[in-house]
Amino acid sequence: MELSLDDMDALLPQLRSGDADSFRQLVARYHGALVGVARTFLRDGEAEEAVQEAWVSAYRHIARFEGRSSLRTWLTRIVINEAKMRLRRNGREILLNVATVETEPLADRFDAGGHWAQGPQQWDSQSPEALLEERDLLDCLRRTLAKLPTNQRAVLELRDFQGEELDAICNMLEISASNVRVLLHRARTQLFSVVDHYQETGEC
Amino acid sequence: MLSCKQVVDRADHLLAGEMPWRQRAGVFFHLVICVHCRRYLRQLRVLLAALPHLRPRATEAQVDAVMARLHQPDAADSSAADAPREP
Repeated sequence: MELSLDDMDALLPQLRSGDADSFRQLVARYHGALVGVARTFLRDGEAEEAVQEAWVSAYRHIARFEGRSSLRTWLTRIVINEAKMRLRRNGREILLNVATVETEPLADRFDAGGHWAQGPQQWDSQSPEALLEERDLLDCLRRTLAKLPTNQRAVLELRDFQGEELDAICNMLEISASNVRVLLHRARTQLFSVVDHYQETGEC
Repeated sequence: MLSCKQVVDRADHLLAGEMPWRQRAGVFFHLVICVHCRRYLRQLRVLLAALPHLRPRATEAQVDAVMARLHQPDAADSSAADAPREP
């Protein structure tokens, strides 16, 4: 299982010299993840197009990339800039700050004293690999992700799919660190409660 | 003594390794006696490690489309998404 998303930085010398094979490897490695980021803000077809446009921009500028962030972070910033530009061009706006009215996904699992009234299930899948074998659960998680509010999904994509640091996420989304933390917590607990429910009932 | 809800609320902080030692000690003290919170943290780690793998890798056709786009003469001329400033 590949767990590192930063292993492509070793290709930087070849990428800076314009080596097409290395760039192809870079695209193969990150394109799917970057489309995932773009889909947070844009519809499917437009997301794919935005990421293609971002690759063109990256290709044109990679010789000047100094490596002060990882390549992944740099590419993610380009994709988010492209997505924001498209939203602005179409007069659409996304509100990324926290809405205070939402209830916490696990709130009803605690008693008045803040102790578990109903603790988490013992999951059958006790490793990431085992969890990824559960096809129905994965479909369920994908559907849940698609239904998350844009702000929660954006933070989750950047933190847990892309592995970005919290500071970088604040900069990319232009929201405060406390908002990032709240959104991440809500998104994670929502996914946790979905898996927990699936483990208990076998249903999404 | 922290409540279970407080431990769950602080789990992201704990997993990010950002928690000051005094708070971390409070969480660990709670974990020693609370099977539910131990389970929550263990399973949350499993879920978070699995998440990046939910995203399908690009197909050959997608990669081909990008590579073809790079060499179109007007590529990116209209794009405002130039390379961002590095931090």
